[in-house]
Amino acid sequence: MKRTLRLARQAGVTLRSNPQRSLLMMLGLVIGIASLTSVVCIGQGTRAKVMDMVARQGWDLIMIRAGAAKQVFAPTTDRTVASLMEADAQAIENSLGNIRYVSAVQNQRGWEVVQGDKSVNTRIFGVGPTWHYIRRRPVEKGEFLTAADLVNMNRVAVLGSRTATMLFGDADPVGRTIRLGREPFEVKGVFVEAGITPGGDDWDDRIVIPLTTSSRRLFGRLYLEQIVVQVRNPRALPQTAERIRTLLRERHGIRPGAEDDFFVREPADVKEQALSTSSTLTTLLIALSAIALLAGGVAIMNLMLISLSQRVHEIGLRRTVGARQRDILSQFLFEALFVALAGGVLGVPCGIAVASVLAWTGTATSTITWVPFAMSIVACSLVALAFGLYPARKASRLDPAVALRAKRL
Amino acid sequence: MIELENLTRQYVKGTATTDVLNGVSFRVEKGEFVAIMGASGAGKTTLMNILGGLDKPTSGTYRLEGLDMTRAGDDELSRIRNRKIGFVFQQFHLLDRVDAMQNVMLPLIYADGNVDGRAAAASALAAVSLTARAHHRPAELSGGEQQRVAIARALVTGPVILLADEPTGNLDARNGLEVLAIFQRLHREGRTLIMITHDPVVAEHARRLIVLKDGRSVSDQPVGQPRDAEAELRRMAGDAPGVQ
Repeated sequence: MKRTLRLARQAGVTLRSNPQRSLLMMLGLVIGIASLTSVVCIGQGTRAKVMDMVARQGWDLIMIRAGAAKQVFAPTTDRTVASLMEADAQAIENSLGNIRYVSAVQNQRGWEVVQGDKSVNTRIFGVGPTWHYIRRRPVEKGEFLTAADLVNMNRVAVLGSRTATMLFGDADPVGRTIRLGREPFEVKGVFVEAGITPGGDDWDDRIVIPLTTSSRRLFGRLYLEQIVVQVRNPRALPQTAERIRTLLRERHGIRPGAEDDFFVREPADVKEQALSTSSTLTTLLIALSAIALLAGGVAIMNLMLISLSQRVHEIGLRRTVGARQRDILSQFLFEALFVALAGGVLGVPCGIAVASVLAWTGTATSTITWVPFAMSIVACSLVALAFGLYPARKASRLDPAVALRAKRL
Repeated sequence: MIELENLTRQYVKGTATTDVLNGVSFRVEKGEFVAIMGASGAGKTTLMNILGGLDKPTSGTYRLEGLDMTRAGDDELSRIRNRKIGFVFQQFHLLDRVDAMQNVMLPLIYADGNVDGRAAAASALAAVSLTARAHHRPAELSGGEQQRVAIARALVTGPVILLADEPTGNLDARNGLEVLAIFQRLHREGRTLIMITHDPVVAEHARRLIVLKDGRSVSDQPVGQPRDAEAELRRMAGDAPGVQ
C-alpha cells in the first residue's frame, strides 16, 4: 500500500511538473463532463417538473377519453366520437370498488362568451358536482356547481381566472350574468389560477357549467368527451383502470380482439408521455457528451504517448533502480486517472453553470444533485483506465537497458 | 559473491549474428574492487548490463550471492536491482526536475514497505559530502557533484555491490579523482565494487584488473601498485597553490 501511495505521488509530481500538458489532457474531459453534467441536471429538472405535474393532476386520477387513439395530453381540436355516455360514468361509480368520485365531462371549443361590451372566445366544459375535487381545481371566489345545479339544469358557470379577468377586469364576477351563445348564465365562482399544463392546455381560459346544462341546453348532444375518476387507493389504480376497461368493453359490446372505442389514461401514461418529449433531446445530448468523453480519452492517450516518447530515459532509469513493469504501469495509470478526475472535478461545476444559465433563461428546468458528481467520477475513471492502459503498457514494456540509453528530451 | 561461468551474449539483427561476449568467466569475492577494462566494442557495457540484471546472457551462468540470475524473472530482477545493486553511470542519469534529495530517494519508491526515505537519503548524501546541496536540482550542480548525487542514489538502498560504468568519463581530472577517492573509501569500508573503464589510469585505482578483448577476458590479475586518489588530489592541490 505504501508503495502504491509512493507511485501515486510520483504520478502527481510528474503532472505538476508539466502543467500545460496536464491541462491539455484534461480539456476534452472537462467539456465532456460539463456536457454530461448539464444533461443530467436538466434531465433531473425535467423529471422533477413532470413528477410535480403528475402530482398536481393527481396520482389518483383515471381519465377515460372517447375514441381509440392513445391520447395522453388534451387534444388540440374537438373530436366527435360518440362512444362514451353518462350511463358509462354511472356504471363505473355504481359497480366498481376503489372509486371515490366520478364525473362525466363534455367540452367544446369556440364558444362566444359575452359580458356587457366585452366578449371572449373560449372553451366550455360540462361537468358533475365532484369534478373540481377530481381535477383539483379549487374555487377562489364564490362556489362550485352543486348537485342541485345538475338536477335543475341551472344556467350557472364557474370561470377560469383569466376568462374572469378578460370579462370583468378587476371587478368581482360572482352573481353577475354572462351570455353563452344566446343563453344567459349566472357566474357562481372563479377558479384559482392554475397556469398552462405541459400538454399546452390553458386551465385559466375556460368556463365550467353543469353537465346536464351543457348536454341539453348548449351542445345539444349526450355523448361525452371524457369521464374522470378519482380512486381511493392510488396503489390499486392500475387494477381499477383495468376493471374500468373491462366494464366499458362489456357495456359497449366490443368483441374479444376488437379495439377499444375509448382510452383509459393512468398517471403513469402522463409521466411517460411528458418524459418522452424531453428524452429525444436528452439522448442527443448524452450522445454528444459520450463523443466528447471519447475525444477526451483519445487526447489523453495521445498526450500520454507523446509524453512517453519524451520519458523513455526516465522510465529506463526507474526500471534500473528497481521499478517493476507493474510499477511503471501503475504510475502511468495514476497519471491518467488523476488528470481525468481533475477534468471531472472541473467539468461538473462548468456543467452545473451551463444548466443553471439555461434554467435562468427559461430554456430548461434544472436540478442539482449528487448524481453528476458520482457519474463524473465513474465516467472519468473508466475513460482514464481505458485510454491510459495502452500508453501505460507500452511504457512498462520498455527494455530498461535500451531505454536508459535513449536520448534525454 | 559473483560467479560468471562461460558467459556469452549474442545479438541477432536480421540475419546477422554478433557475438559480443564469447565465454567470460570470473569470480568476484565480497569486498573486492575490480576494474574491467577494454577498448570500445570489447563487450564492457554488455557485461555491465548482465551483471546489473538489466540484460540476460545467451548462455552460461551468472550467480549473484548464490542466486541464479539467468533464471530470475523480470520482477525478481527488478527486486535484485533495487535491493542488491547500486548503479553509477557515465552520464549520471539524474532526473532534471527534482532536487538531489529526491533523486537519491528514487530507488526507495520501489522498495518494499514503509521506508524512511528522507533519513536514508540524507545519510547517503552525507556519505558523499553533499548535505549542503540536498535541495539543488541537477542543473544547479557541477558535473562532479552530479556524479556524487548518483553515487548517493546507488548507496541509498544499501546494495551488496556497486556497479560503475565509466564513472569518470564525463568528468575533468580533479572531479574524476574525487569520485575515485569515494570509491576507494567505500572499498576500505568493505564494499564490493566493479568499475568499467577504458582508461588504464582510472583502472589502476582498483585492486584487481580484468581486461576484456573481443568478448573474452584476456587478463585477470591484481593491480601491482594501486593508485591512491586522495594522495593524487593532495598532490594536485600542491601543484596549484591557491586552488582549494
